Amino acid sequence: MERNLTMIALFAALIAALGLIPKFTLGFGVPITAQSLGVMLCGTVLGAWRGGLAALLFVALVALGLPLLAGGRGGLGVFASPTVGFLVGFPIGAFVTGFIMDQWRNAPVGLAAGVSAVLGGILVVYAFGIFGMMMTLNKTLLEATLLVQAFIPGDLIKAVLAGFITSGLAKARPASVLSRS
Amino acid sequence: MTSQTLPLIDIEKVCYTPAGTPVLRDVSLRSDASRIGIVGRNGSGKTSFARVLSGLVAADEGQVRIGGIDVARDRRRAIGAVGILFQNPDHQIIFPTVEEEIAFGLLQMGQSKAEAARGVAAILGQFDKRHWTQASIHQLSQGQRQLVCLMAVLAMQPRVLVLDEPFAGLDIPTRLHLERVLAGLDLTLVHITHDPAAVAGYDHILWLERGEVAQQGSARPVLRAFETRMKELGANDDLSDLAG
Amino acid sequence: MISLTSPVETRAHGWPAGAKLGALCAATLLLFGVEDPVWQIAFCAGMLLLYALPGRAFLKGGLGRLRMLWPFVALILLWHVLISDAEAGLVIVLRMVTAVGLANLVTMTTKLSDMMAVVRWLAGPLRRFGVRTRSLELAVALVVRFTPVLAAKGQMLSLAWRARSRRRAGWRIVMPFTVLAIDDAEHVAEALRARGGL
Repeated sequence: MERNLTMIALFAALIAALGLIPKFTLGFGVPITAQSLGVMLCGTVLGAWRGGLAALLFVALVALGLPLLAGGRGGLGVFASPTVGFLVGFPIGAFVTGFIMDQWRNAPVGLAAGVSAVLGGILVVYAFGIFGMMMTLNKTLLEATLLVQAFIPGDLIKAVLAGFITSGLAKARPASVLSRS
Repeated sequence: MTSQTLPLIDIEKVCYTPAGTPVLRDVSLRSDASRIGIVGRNGSGKTSFARVLSGLVAADEGQVRIGGIDVARDRRRAIGAVGILFQNPDHQIIFPTVEEEIAFGLLQMGQSKAEAARGVAAILGQFDKRHWTQASIHQLSQGQRQLVCLMAVLAMQPRVLVLDEPFAGLDIPTRLHLERVLAGLDLTLVHITHDPAAVAGYDHILWLERGEVAQQGSARPVLRAFETRMKELGANDDLSDLAG
Repeated sequence: MISLTSPVETRAHGWPAGAKLGALCAATLLLFGVEDPVWQIAFCAGMLLLYALPGRAFLKGGLGRLRMLWPFVALILLWHVLISDAEAGLVIVLRMVTAVGLANLVTMTTKLSDMMAVVRWLAGPLRRFGVRTRSLELAVALVVRFTPVLAAKGQMLSLAWRARSRRRAGWRIVMPFTVLAIDDAEHVAEALRARGGL
């Protein structure tokens, strides 16, 4: 019981901490921020409920006024900005990612993690993100999608990385990959 | 490549003031000694000094040269000249298996996969741990992990090895074993510690107090002064002040 | 960890958080209901006036937080000028800036503990159903406590990487980083159990 609480809290802290370390490179000089990778990992490692709650806790704390988003951003202002949809999408995306991980047990961990990260961490999160942009910027679906499409390749790579990292964790700390326990 | 008249470790009047806090002030160390100890209390700036020495952070003033190389600016040559071993192996091992962890530095130095693999085998052979090649890190004990970190750094064949409190948390047999290993190394060791006993037999000691050099010179007098001062402080109320 | 509450004390710092949040909701609804550019200009000016009242330091802080919107402002204005509908673009931009500005105003004048009180109040009905909301407060405390700890460990891993490479740390460090978070979670769970548990 305590462990559920601390895993949720520590993964929320992990998402925040990933926003604080400097952008890392992909090896060919493309800098990317790690925060959305943290959201994917919540789902792939903790499973649906705990992963969703961890991401929800993170988003709630941003709303409460803590500078946890990359760049030290936070507060209610981000929820009134065009990126609000993504924030709303984080917990739901983490939940969907975790749900797929929980259900899809007969595939290798890395593959399941990568695919669930794409479906939850990208498809779901971007759906909400694009909708949010449509509403705040008065744009059509196509126009809003156009605005965000530049970020999708980076996030696809992050989903693949989530696969590798989760499969590594399944070897290093098998008891802690709760989506597989 | 390097001037023969300059000492191997050439640190002159270094100041380090991250975010406005003066952590190091006018620290100089110029020595060719092969066993150097840096002693001081926790918070005296020793760990920051270790990072400045290995080029991981750039000093705000003064110069830091190891073997003539400006370690903060010329990272490419620096990683081949100076290596650093941190206190907690869990905070420095990045890869899941021993061979990946050791090969990493070699690959970063520009070696090919085949060359790196040979380097890994060589260092494991030197330490009689060839059976560790495929081992995964999480199977290893704390002391074994510290040894992996050491091997990973030594494989890059630095001239200077900086050790930042490497024995913290190790039990007595493991500590003695690692001490033996370090004593047998044929390079310059710079050992950062708050425990004078660990560096009692060293050639040169630098005592840091609140970011400044309190005293430096041969082991016996400096360590004696250091110990006396530490005991003095221990007799008073040490814990009240907040770091602010 | 520093919160985003402004150190400049204003009268609004003393007003109940629930009231401020309610007013914010109403204001946002109003903003999104009005399409007239003249009104939007007026609202925006009003928002800026609220920032100016407590003094220059507060105004500067507030404007600094609006800076992240400039790419959107530039994009929308350019877009709408190109499609010859500059007026609509102006409305969108003004509305966005005003909404974000007002929301930030609430954040800047409300302490974390006051926000937590609102959350506790909102979670009241859940308590009726037996959900332990004390865990929520504990969870918040844990995140505040451990984010800097994890960030420091992440820095250590970054340094350990840079000690052997001249490039910046790669994605590889996220793995041991996550392991550290998991290990901390196990230790804290133990510490909680040792002090009575949940």
